[in-house]
Amino acid sequence: MDVKLKISLFVFSIILFIITTSILKKGRIPIKYSLLWYFFAIIILLTSVFPNFFSWIASIVGFEVMSNLIIAIFIGLLIFLTMALTIMVAGQNKKTILLIQELSIVKKELEEKSKNK
Amino acid sequence: MDKVLLIIPAYNEEKNILRTYEEIVNYNKHSKEKYDVIVINDGSKDKTKEILEKNNIPHINLLQNLGIGGAVQTGYKFAFYNDYDIAVQFDGDGQHDINYVKNIITPIINKKCDLVIGSRYIDKETSSFKSTKARQIGINIISKFIKIATRKKIYDTTSGFRACNKKIIESFAKNYPVEYPEPITTTEILKQGYKIEEVPVNMKERLGGKSSIRAWKNFYYMINVCLSILMISIRRYKDGR
Repeated sequence: MDVKLKISLFVFSIILFIITTSILKKGRIPIKYSLLWYFFAIIILLTSVFPNFFSWIASIVGFEVMSNLIIAIFIGLLIFLTMALTIMVAGQNKKTILLIQELSIVKKELEEKSKNK
Repeated sequence: MDKVLLIIPAYNEEKNILRTYEEIVNYNKHSKEKYDVIVINDGSKDKTKEILEKNNIPHINLLQNLGIGGAVQTGYKFAFYNDYDIAVQFDGDGQHDINYVKNIITPIINKKCDLVIGSRYIDKETSSFKSTKARQIGINIISKFIKIATRKKIYDTTSGFRACNKKIIESFAKNYPVEYPEPITTTEILKQGYKIEEVPVNMKERLGGKSSIRAWKNFYYMINVCLSILMISIRRYKDGR
């Protein structure tokens, strides 16, 4: 593997690590969401430190070039992440709808009570 | 006597809502049955809210626009909390005819079924308005899908003129799809072992405003509805209720 690519990947993983840690420090995301980003950073780091291991895996799985394997892994992870986010958004949406409905009903009843006074 | 509630979802219906309400009030004056009304104002951007308040029409203002499913469900929740026996979905745009409410609640009062659909197609003579050819084809395809999923033939799958009993009110109050609610709930209810009947009704052409189903969205609508029905058909439901 090209030394330049190794260095780029290494730097990239450090940056990702720093960003995740700083977001976490400010308390903007809970720990459980940060784990996935650390996982990303670690995988990138591993590819830059042990390229031989990954080119061995690439040859087993059928990729001609190791960089393709890395790209494929990331696309896979991103698809997984997007799906998880879709499920989360749908869940949030359900909760928001419930809140709006119940609140609107309560508001109507309150207004009626104050009118009758 | 059974307590009956008309649930009227309204989104930007300033032109029609007052007329619809007055027709109901007039009907109540001249008939034995009295229907309660609740208008769900789904975050309208026009003067719907002002009209509802000025004319003392019973209504709930949703704080945000939720879409037809979320609005109608609010009505079912209201019916559930206030212990109504029968809830009728009734359009605020003047498409539905108040004189037919009696017909669609009769099978429920007689305990013959749990949900009644006011149908444009079951009896060719009753309804003057049958909607466009393209939409009829769409409704037919949905009908075929429901037949496959539940073995029951429903003719007017997208009719929003429906009545249901207490058990269904409770079920809708707890769980109601946000989008494409009519065909989806019909399938779900049949799958859960409830009985549905179709009763011929007259529907008029819309008095004003736009239908919530727009032409360019039809294809997307069909794919969504058919996929939903397929999903429901492979989902497992507890037998009985």
